[in-house]
Amino acid sequence: MLKKRLIPVLLLQNGMLVRSEEFRIHQVIGNPIHEVERFNQWNVDELIYLDISTSDDYDQRRDDHRVKPLTDPLTILDAVSRTCFMPLTWGGRIRTLDDIRERLLRGADKVALNTAAFQTPWIVTEAARQFGSQAIVVSMDVFQLPDGRQEVYIEGGRLPTGLTPEMWAAEIERLGAGEILLQHVQRDGTARGYDLDLISSVSSCTSIPVIACSGVGRYEDYATGIRAGASAVAAANIWHFKEMADRGGKRALAKAGIDVRL
Amino acid sequence: MAVRYCTRCVYPSAAATPLTFDEAGVCSGCRVALQKTQIQWDERWKMFEELVSEYRSPNNYDIVIPVSGGKDSYFQTHVATRLLGLKPLLVTYHGNNYLPEGEYNLQRMREVFDCDHVIVKPSVRTLLKMNRLGFKLQGDMNWHAHSGIFTAPIQVALRYKVPLMLWGEHGFLDLAGMYSMHDFVEFTAKHRLEHSLRGYDWYDFTDQGLERLGRPELKEGLTDKDLLFAQYPSDEEIDTVGVRGIYLGNYLDWDGHKSAELVMKEYGWRPAQQPFERTYRMVSNLDDMHENGIHDYLKFVKFGYGRGSDHACKDIRAGRMTRAEGIAMVRKYDHVKPRRDLDRWLAYVSMTEAEFDQICDTFRDPRVWRIENGQWVKDNLWGEPSAYGPVHALPRNWKQ
Repeated sequence: MLKKRLIPVLLLQNGMLVRSEEFRIHQVIGNPIHEVERFNQWNVDELIYLDISTSDDYDQRRDDHRVKPLTDPLTILDAVSRTCFMPLTWGGRIRTLDDIRERLLRGADKVALNTAAFQTPWIVTEAARQFGSQAIVVSMDVFQLPDGRQEVYIEGGRLPTGLTPEMWAAEIERLGAGEILLQHVQRDGTARGYDLDLISSVSSCTSIPVIACSGVGRYEDYATGIRAGASAVAAANIWHFKEMADRGGKRALAKAGIDVRL
Repeated sequence: MAVRYCTRCVYPSAAATPLTFDEAGVCSGCRVALQKTQIQWDERWKMFEELVSEYRSPNNYDIVIPVSGGKDSYFQTHVATRLLGLKPLLVTYHGNNYLPEGEYNLQRMREVFDCDHVIVKPSVRTLLKMNRLGFKLQGDMNWHAHSGIFTAPIQVALRYKVPLMLWGEHGFLDLAGMYSMHDFVEFTAKHRLEHSLRGYDWYDFTDQGLERLGRPELKEGLTDKDLLFAQYPSDEEIDTVGVRGIYLGNYLDWDGHKSAELVMKEYGWRPAQQPFERTYRMVSNLDDMHENGIHDYLKFVKFGYGRGSDHACKDIRAGRMTRAEGIAMVRKYDHVKPRRDLDRWLAYVSMTEAEFDQICDTFRDPRVWRIENGQWVKDNLWGEPSAYGPVHALPRNWKQ
């Protein structure tokens, strides 16, 4: 039995790491590299790094810091992959096979596709053929509709697709992706815990690994995600808020009887 | 990118803190202040009591409280001792810049609260060097203080094997809304290094460190052993005792203004006895005269605002001031060069004012400042730009 993975998600917006809430509110957390250094020191299982910028503006913020800001996402990717000893998934603003190739060449072990996977699904298949399924993650953002139904949204949670999460999960697997990163727009950054029904129904529609994300507020939430069927559990914000968040999360998982790398 | 201002308070976008704005132009600090009004504080208090109960010890200090002797320190210690019946160990970093009122308040803590108190006082010679270096390297003579304040408590917590530190409010959460009230943000080495210390650590201040930074001309002869007080412990050491630092501001409706009233009445805490040069508030920063003085003047030099803005933001958000009144405070205080405070510091570190002005200008932020007719000019919160004195030197990366 494979050990269950615990994965931090870092969100990059216009050159800075941000904290996210419901995909709408983004507070600046800081330098895009420093946190990666901390994850190295903690020997984290894996890292997912998503560029959620919607423009190329870079507010450099204060320039009296020792570490000077970097001004474009690919330079940041270079610096992250130089720094990072753990497997790295890079996502965000990836639209073409060339985009994928460039990011893998620059040190990403996997790429995460979202909007492109829906709009040009053949790219998933072709990328899986060229680089291997293990290198292709499809990131799925699930939107909670007022009537209780759930729908897959693209373009950073702003555009509906008409697909249910279950339909899309089965399709992602058929296209040849190796993993699904499952996010929930309205739970993002709210610390209310995972949407366990969603994790359970998506995991049961596919045989590829599902990485649960969105909603973690306490370390104890991780185990619920695994029990609901996820192969790995991820979170973004909580990694910024607690000291040695890796150890804290892993210990909570182990305490709940889940096999993790301590 | 031009500087913009929050539409509710007076905070500028080119801030020392990582401020953000929403679609309506409201800053993250105001948004979090609003969030505070929607918190169920009685539930939070229960969470706090439960959290703390896990740390009550039969034979050791229950918690470490980092204190400066200020109104917030008194309030934290009041909560810990009087409301929760805890046995705290008080820990202070003393950077040799206390106002007499601040020193009085500090020394009285062990009397009025019946507590043990460790005060870490680094060598004055080392402090002088750190003042000069902090100013020249980072534009902040009080870098030593941020470093000491965020290092001494955890060093002492490890030494006495006390696994819980009780901080007051989270500065960047309160002022800039860097986090949400739902995050229950805790003390981290990352925040200390990246934000409180702006990426520099103690090892950058030794002769070797300055060589590495490419600034050998700044050497003051400091060695590793001179800076023991600033050396942050390793993850492994911290994990051995399991030390964590929580913020009281996450668990009760923190209001520094009300805390000041309470501790004056209950414990005879003393506010400043003479007005500050750069702010109207009399109850803040008595532990370090330069915090409201030339340290803060450097914030104006760098980013074009100061304590007048900071304090007005807090008072606007708390409903004690209108935005117009806040703007008046900004106009009155933000640009003031604090004569009394500057003279003390220049004499303290043996520097001339000409040298001071020249080094100041190397830190001007190009998003804020431009040069017109040999003067530093910036746009203002209230509209028309103003000139704020002659140019003495150009910033290190100035592009014209």
